[in-house]
Amino acid sequence: MNKSLRFLIVLVPIIIFTFFANVLLIEEDEKFSKFNTKNFPSFELNDLNGIPVKYEYLDGIKLVNVWASWCITCLVEHPFLTKLSDANIQIVGLNYKDSNNKASAWLQKHGNPYIFSIYDPRGDLAFDLGVTGAPESYLVIDNQVVAHIQGEMTSKKWETIFYPLIKKASNET
Amino acid sequence: MIKSNFFLVSSFLIFSMYSFGEIVYQFEDIAQEKRFYSLISEIRCPKCTSGSIASSDAPVSRDLKNKVYDLIIDGSSDDEIKKYVSDRFGNFSDYRPALEGANYILWFGPFIFLSLILIIFFFKRRAE
Amino acid sequence: MIGEISHFLSLSAVVIFSLILIFNFFFFFGKIHPNQLSLSIRLFNQACWLVFISFAMYVYLAINDDFSIAYIASHSNSQLPIFYKISSIWSAHEGSMFLWIVFLTAWSIFFINSLDDSHSLKKTTLLMVSLIILGFLLFLLLTSNPFERLLPFGAIEGADINPVLQDPALAIHPPMLYLGYVGFVISFSYITAYLFHGNFELEWEKDIKNWSLVAWIFLTIGITLGSWWAYYELGWGGYWFWDPVENVALMPWLAATAFMHSLYASSKSSVLKTWTMFLGILIFALSLFGAFIVRSGIIDSVHSFANDPQRGLYLLIFSGLITLLALGVFAYRIPSLNASKFVVSGSKESFLSMNNILMVTSIFSIFLGVTYPLIIEAINGEKVSIGPPYYNTIFTPLILITAIFIMASVDSLWQRSKPLKSYVYKTFFPVILSILFTYFVWHITETFSILSYIGIFSGLLILFTYLLRVLNNFFYKKFINKGSAIAHIGLGLLFLAVSLNSILSYEKNLYLAPGESIFVNESIKEFSFDDIKVLKASNHDVISVEVSLLQDGKNIILNPQKRKYATRGQITTESSIYASILKDTYLTIGDQLENGSWTFALKINYFIKWIWFSASLMVMGMLITIFKKKAT
Repeated sequence: MNKSLRFLIVLVPIIIFTFFANVLLIEEDEKFSKFNTKNFPSFELNDLNGIPVKYEYLDGIKLVNVWASWCITCLVEHPFLTKLSDANIQIVGLNYKDSNNKASAWLQKHGNPYIFSIYDPRGDLAFDLGVTGAPESYLVIDNQVVAHIQGEMTSKKWETIFYPLIKKASNET
Repeated sequence: MIKSNFFLVSSFLIFSMYSFGEIVYQFEDIAQEKRFYSLISEIRCPKCTSGSIASSDAPVSRDLKNKVYDLIIDGSSDDEIKKYVSDRFGNFSDYRPALEGANYILWFGPFIFLSLILIIFFFKRRAE
Repeated sequence: MIGEISHFLSLSAVVIFSLILIFNFFFFFGKIHPNQLSLSIRLFNQACWLVFISFAMYVYLAINDDFSIAYIASHSNSQLPIFYKISSIWSAHEGSMFLWIVFLTAWSIFFINSLDDSHSLKKTTLLMVSLIILGFLLFLLLTSNPFERLLPFGAIEGADINPVLQDPALAIHPPMLYLGYVGFVISFSYITAYLFHGNFELEWEKDIKNWSLVAWIFLTIGITLGSWWAYYELGWGGYWFWDPVENVALMPWLAATAFMHSLYASSKSSVLKTWTMFLGILIFALSLFGAFIVRSGIIDSVHSFANDPQRGLYLLIFSGLITLLALGVFAYRIPSLNASKFVVSGSKESFLSMNNILMVTSIFSIFLGVTYPLIIEAINGEKVSIGPPYYNTIFTPLILITAIFIMASVDSLWQRSKPLKSYVYKTFFPVILSILFTYFVWHITETFSILSYIGIFSGLLILFTYLLRVLNNFFYKKFINKGSAIAHIGLGLLFLAVSLNSILSYEKNLYLAPGESIFVNESIKEFSFDDIKVLKASNHDVISVEVSLLQDGKNIILNPQKRKYATRGQITTESSIYASILKDTYLTIGDQLENGSWTFALKINYFIKWIWFSASLMVMGMLITIFKKKAT
């Protein structure tokens, strides 16, 4: 067997192990999968008070947060969302597979960080957005969905994923 | 006892618009039915660590199954249905990677590998 | 106290293994010490026993509910039956790693002591296994310590283990699998020692042959148990999903199968030695790779243990160094091996050579499928999913090629080819019969799927090839290797059953209210929701449903359940299966609807029993092969 083949026998495992070492060493948060930007889907839904929500209400820079009164983890992220809304981030709630009575009661009880909440009891808009459960959050800039996280919003996720995109958008305007 | 039974049983309750005693996914013919079950086994459950929507009971999997059903009844093709799902849940949701770009290496890799080995061995024997 | 002693014994084992290595390394460069070998052997045996006693004490702690040990507290519970208290030890990372090491040590101590002291490779093999055991022990104690205490008071009661794990098949599946995986440390270490020493006159194959065959049996049983368990427990009616963790168990199995065949060739005919050695090293390397993948959390899988990059890194570096050591020595020695160069076309060796090539291609395909998503994600952040559609497409042609070669290779001769005429004779009937039967299947089922039909045809080719040989043996007393025939019939049956299952199986989703019944199809004329009960069992509440079916004229009663476990609040679905020879009737409950009716998923899975049977045929064939050799 010639020399190059013998060399390969040792080289290939080295390459494989180096590759895996690389994958292991990348920090979980630094690993931001490429997100394919898409248009925010159209919808015909009302807010929690029964008033129709117009597509233009989502113009500009909006954080769309999927929540529900039955969702326990939503309580965990709630204080952070309140902090964001206090810092003038516009948060639009997407109330997912809930009853609007229970939803309104939940907001009354825990506080309302949303400028308004879209009432989506059947999850139609959520489905078009690719929602897999609650809580989830989307960053929508100029009616384009530019980021998506599953699970609760934490300050770390905010700072590494969402905030840089917001800053980039603000600098461009 | 009654109370705990109630909570136990009600934990399985879901909203639905079904009526009594029926087959859930009804199709015009066997071919459509096979397409449905085949498709749902190739669409990944967006919420699970791994597995298709066929094998998952998660709410979003249920929604996806119902949607695939609706689309088949409406006459969409398999490709259209897969695109519908990937538009919403990403390419990640298709267990059959499209034949494009780098995926050529994926689909043809094994046979290129086999051919290479056969060629090497063939040449080795020629050399002797 | 016992926990401390157990911990101490494991630490002492580490010390002694290290001493063995240091002691021998020291003497490697100088004069050989007269007692070097006997001292090393004695130390080695003692170190192994320390590991066994340490583990035995750990089992004692688990049985006696010592919840001051963090691992036992989080995975066991005083209400568990003893069997599950013991199996809870290997239900998660630290404990299962401990079990892995115990088996590694057990295989090693048996093998090393089976070698004569005068055997030239005894010492080096001993050193190699010591190095490997030491590496894993250090991994265990440094990064995954099962002995950690819950301070200051320990837990009053254990957290219940995952209810899904309280199952006999699943309790035995890891031990079987590990016995298989680590059994190949013997071929790995011995071959490396052989290459290192460079004495190529030694006949090495027979020393490791039976050890490897037995390890293969355990690996086969382990994989089959996992598949069987997934089938009846997980509720989706499937038995193999090409999940990354299933794949990393399959790769060593393929390498082991190739190795056994190649070993056969190189012991009979001094050809393919290079291949055999490479494969012997590859099996354990793939086992190491599998351990790494499962325990580092690098790949999304339902099966992964908790992820921890630090653990992953240690395993990766350790596996990498060991593998490179072995492969490096191998690559270095290849020119000196003097392996017989010329393989006659059409000889048995040439077919076995092709077998190796096909097996290695299969391994490559799986490896590609497992790593491709990682590679793509690392390059451009895209997430790709790879599953059954990919693997089925790639494996089907490979299976066809394999079947054709099996058919052509039967009755081939060592170092000689047979005339073309003989090929025509022996392939004519299998091919014709297979085509006929495949057509017959299509005629009956009226469904078509190119992949499945290739699978059916391939399975039939193998079956008819061997059936004809069996008939030849029966009527004409023509020689037949019984073990091989049974094992290959098992293989053909597996291909056939899997493909038939794929085209014939179907599913129906239904909803009924209690007391209702409906017509499903011509086969299942009546499906009745007879009764629903709420029951209490020891650690869970149950919703038990009784359904009766009128299927093919027979009355069947099925009992699917939903369970809610007290400690963790987890809800599981228990399937109810009626298994007949032709098909399994598989029923699970879904959810309850507002109007009181329940959804059901009814799956009719064809030829499932044949799949399990084919695995047992393969094992039986192997047992016959092992014991037949011992008789002669």
